Amino acid sequence: MTKEICDAMAMKRALTRMTYEIIEKNKGIEGIVLVGIKTRGVYLAQRIASRLKQLEGADIPVGAIDISLYRDDVSHKDGHLKEPVVNDSELGQDIAGKHVILVDDVLFTGRTIRAALDALMDQGRPKTINLAVLVDRGHRELPIRADFVGKNIPTSLDEEIAVYVEEIDGKDGIELRDTQNS
Amino acid sequence: MKRYLVLEDGTVYKGEAFGADCQTTGEVVFTTGMTGYQEAVTDQSFANQILVFTNPLIGNYGVNLDDYESLQPNCRGVVCREVARVSDSWRKQDTFDNFLKQMNIPGIKGIDTRALTKKLRVHGTMKGSLIDPVDDLKHAFDQLHATVISDRVVAQVSTKRPYPNPGSKRNIVLVDFGAKHSILRELAKRDCNTIVVPYNTTAEQILALKPDGVMLSNGPGDPKSVPSAIEMVKEIEKHLPLFGICLGHQIFALANGADTYKMKFGHRGFNHPVREIATGRINFTSQNHGYAVKPESVDTNELIITHREINDNTVEGLRHKRYPAFTVQFHPDAAPGPHDADDLFDDFMHMIDHRKEGKSNA
Repeated sequence: MTKEICDAMAMKRALTRMTYEIIEKNKGIEGIVLVGIKTRGVYLAQRIASRLKQLEGADIPVGAIDISLYRDDVSHKDGHLKEPVVNDSELGQDIAGKHVILVDDVLFTGRTIRAALDALMDQGRPKTINLAVLVDRGHRELPIRADFVGKNIPTSLDEEIAVYVEEIDGKDGIELRDTQNS
Repeated sequence: MKRYLVLEDGTVYKGEAFGADCQTTGEVVFTTGMTGYQEAVTDQSFANQILVFTNPLIGNYGVNLDDYESLQPNCRGVVCREVARVSDSWRKQDTFDNFLKQMNIPGIKGIDTRALTKKLRVHGTMKGSLIDPVDDLKHAFDQLHATVISDRVVAQVSTKRPYPNPGSKRNIVLVDFGAKHSILRELAKRDCNTIVVPYNTTAEQILALKPDGVMLSNGPGDPKSVPSAIEMVKEIEKHLPLFGICLGHQIFALANGADTYKMKFGHRGFNHPVREIATGRINFTSQNHGYAVKPESVDTNELIITHREINDNTVEGLRHKRYPAFTVQFHPDAAPGPHDADDLFDDFMHMIDHRKEGKSNA
């Protein structure tokens, strides 16, 4: 059973709102670097960057980190006990002393984020790291919380959240799937 | 019965009287909405103004109790091309003519509203009077020229004492500069417990109510005529999430160092395209303002311009860079008009919830 939680419009609005919150929290866009977690986090980071450019007229660097062995939009049961590891990172710039904003589509156990934090720390010492996620679905296993949330969607462990982005999925939207009844 | 519309520049239009039987003087402005005449007449932003409807047929669906935007409108008069002789709608409770009689608002029909609107667009809004036919028109003009139409009307249309609009979830204080009921409806829809306070309520008084957020309503006239509200906003924005509409937007701009000016003929109607700068998305919005924020006066270290009108590039939306505060010049509450932008109320709710959550986690 699949239910659409957010349509394309609501998703765009959520990203716009997060953009405003990023400006408000950082009191401007000085020193901001966006780092997207592959795959969809990168597209979301690029969209936030384009909004920031429209509003402030400055180019915000966007980097990418690839974290694999783990994806929470496929069934988590088989992969659940594996720890996510960093495959590759293409930050493309020095993050030392910068305000890094990590962008991902879904925040679930927090393990992906922990891996991403490790990877970032290996690259230098950012001044701050903030976390922006489009969906927070709960069920954290680590003491991690998002600073900017597009939508809080309380879920059960039997459910899955799928985020679609136009760039690779051909449409925007957020869906909730129930794996038990499907 | 005949009636005249005389304008400051010496023009006289002859037409038929309808509505209340009295004479009136006001600033003649035009609105481009095809429907929503009842909401327009009861909108306090039209206080002290004579309203010209550009749509040629007005009154065809009557009026009803649900569509009032205020109970004691201060609109001075209405000018129409044609008023429907028969009105019908399943919602209709009264005719437009009767409604105007009850509200003591005179009207004139049979006027070439296209010519009148063109004139107003070229010369800007001007003073005008609705008068009974007289032999001595010169006297009428002298009187019109002598009349001063005050731009300081907020005090007249704002509530005199606070009142609640009960709900159960979030506590909102709505500062009433001439608030439309539809703002309260939108808040009620989102389960807000709203307290409406007079325009001159101080920041301390508002903070003492311990609200979760503050809304600045729409209203008539010059934003600079309410200096107390400007001072209030300067303080409130530091403490509470803030959302302003129309006059509230202008007051927020003034409180953050920007300047406002009187527009030539304003934006009135609900076919005004507004670009959301972050995404480039165009919304069609309901608007009603005769003043606007000067774009070059906006301090970009403090504020971000979030929305712009497409036709004349006026500043239609602002957001504070450091505080959770945003305002729009247009009416997301619509009524009348398109509901393209009513998500802004949801954004405000999110802002409030986000702040509450942040507090409880801190």
